[in-house]
Amino acid sequence: MADRPTSADRPAPAETIVGPVSAPDDVLRVEHIAKRFGPVTALRDVNLHLKQGEVLGLLGDNGAGKSTLIKIICGFQRQDSGQMFLHGQPYAPKSVDDARAHGIETVYQDLALIDELSVYHNMFLRRERVHHPIPLLANRQMKREARAALDEIGINIPRIDVTVARLSGGQRQAIAVARTVNSDADILLLDEPLAAMGAKEGAQILDLVGRLKEEGRVSIVMILHNYVHVLQACDRVSMIQDGVIALDKPTAETSVEELTEIVVNEYRRAREAAQAEEEAAHAEAARLETEHG
Amino acid sequence: MARVASEPGSPGAPTTPTGGKGGPAHARRAYLPTRHELLERVLSLREGSIIVVTVLVAIYFAVDTSTFLTGSSFKTLLPFFAPFAILGAGEVFVMILGEIDLSIGATYLIAPIIYYKFAVAGIPHVPCVLLALACCMAVGFINGFFTAVVGINSFVTTLGMLFTLEGLTLILSHAEPVSMPGAEITTSQVNVAHVINGAHVVLTETVTHASTFAKTLGEGTYSELIWAIVIVAILQVVLTFTRWGLYTVSVGSNKLGAAEAGVRVRLVIIRNFILCATAGGFVGILEAVRASAVEPDVAGANEILFKGISAAVIGGTLLAGGSGTVVGAFIGALFLGIVYDGLILKGVSADYQLFYVGLAILIAMTVNVYVQRVRRGARSG
Repeated sequence: MADRPTSADRPAPAETIVGPVSAPDDVLRVEHIAKRFGPVTALRDVNLHLKQGEVLGLLGDNGAGKSTLIKIICGFQRQDSGQMFLHGQPYAPKSVDDARAHGIETVYQDLALIDELSVYHNMFLRRERVHHPIPLLANRQMKREARAALDEIGINIPRIDVTVARLSGGQRQAIAVARTVNSDADILLLDEPLAAMGAKEGAQILDLVGRLKEEGRVSIVMILHNYVHVLQACDRVSMIQDGVIALDKPTAETSVEELTEIVVNEYRRAREAAQAEEEAAHAEAARLETEHG
Repeated sequence: MARVASEPGSPGAPTTPTGGKGGPAHARRAYLPTRHELLERVLSLREGSIIVVTVLVAIYFAVDTSTFLTGSSFKTLLPFFAPFAILGAGEVFVMILGEIDLSIGATYLIAPIIYYKFAVAGIPHVPCVLLALACCMAVGFINGFFTAVVGINSFVTTLGMLFTLEGLTLILSHAEPVSMPGAEITTSQVNVAHVINGAHVVLTETVTHASTFAKTLGEGTYSELIWAIVIVAILQVVLTFTRWGLYTVSVGSNKLGAAEAGVRVRLVIIRNFILCATAGGFVGILEAVRASAVEPDVAGANEILFKGISAAVIGGTLLAGGSGTVVGAFIGALFLGIVYDGLILKGVSADYQLFYVGLAILIAMTVNVYVQRVRRGARSG
């Protein structure tokens, strides 16, 4: 860690655009993705790749564009420019359903749970089991499968026929994660899956991710804020800063200190820029005052 | 609240004299709560509180007037509630979304006029009904489109639709009442044999005839009630046991979350507005056939609208969306009907009726809120 780059010799994020790294076993490749919301540029030029069975930690400050990237991959929003490839094929999801049909499932930051629906209805939202030929909801089957899925994850939800509004933050999050893991997806996008969780529940989810990694069936992109969790659970980290990927390293080659320093430096840089701007404005105001005063 | 506190097995129970018996007390605990559970189950229904209130009002009128609990009273009650049960049922689907449809009264008004126009053009009656309902579906589609796609608040969208349709009704009907083709009542003289004092006497009586079409669509005494029960039952099943209902609750409870989960929010909104408008138009046709004519009464249409929404709200559907019940709207309409009918039977002057109905709604909703609080307490306990 002695040769860790310092803020002086680390180029500004604008120039550190990490190029697309093609590999034959990439399940997902994201190339030159850009997205603007009116005057706000969320993503400038993002390149990302995900190997089969890999757990990729997506890092970045609040508002860096992590969630936007997730929402583009999962078909909720569309990018302004850039392409995506799924198993080497061009991939442009038309909707969340379309992305799901391609095997991509998401846990959103806001969980996308419906407060007024029961636990099992939430777990099967958009994947409801119905009877044939009259498509009435097969509630008993959904209850059974939901219970089995939750037991497998090891999350304790005492009753699955109550509305999710009555559950704690951690339980809600567990249900959102269980819903995703329980699907047939082969790529999971987890946007802060541990945010509202207690230490025990968080550990259970990380254990679950570890188990999925061992199985090697699914590949996971996970947004996390706790760098200890990142190093513990992920194979590789990608850090978004200022709308581009500023760092892309296997977790074995980085440390909590390095990740923290990159973020802190970015924060300092931004604060200095803001201060300089403010000083310039003050100077301008003073100049005008002396001119007219 | 007192009932909840005295629940057997609560900390207070063992201090009662019978609680000292130990073993039997335990057995009693398994026995007694069934009654308590029954109460709890009724109250934990979303419609529970309004059922209680409606029964109380019915008991009041049954005790207070000698005529309330009679068959003829029930028949006069029907037109006071069956139409609003259907209107309320449709409105529930829109209100669960957190939206509102103010144009159901206007749709109610224009549907029979459209039916009339098609019938006058020589189209058979049943296709005329279907065509009129298709027009109502178009109205619902426009409501839904402006709300979900253009993004205008549904209150404003449907208010615009209300005036547009009411204006269109006046234009189409030239502000004149029209008779409903197919709903004509014909009379004929029939000789009926009677036995009076042992002698056979043949008397001539006047008998009214209505076509099967008219009897089915509102003319028959119980036809509106049957329609209301069938429609409410079907829509409650749709709401509780189908994906349509699940997505309706999802969009009303968490629109963004529903969209993120892949629910096609716009489709759900448009679909429910179509359902609501169709229900409105259908009731309009039923009522016009029942009366054999339709009066282009714009003010009356707005009163219909308010009663439809009242039925839904009294039945326990939240104006804020996310939760609602079709059966509740049926009971809400029944409550309104009982109050109207009861006041008439009590001989309350027509001038006082609206006043009392208004008070009844306020009192009912207050009791409703109180019972719901008990219910929530019962549920979390």
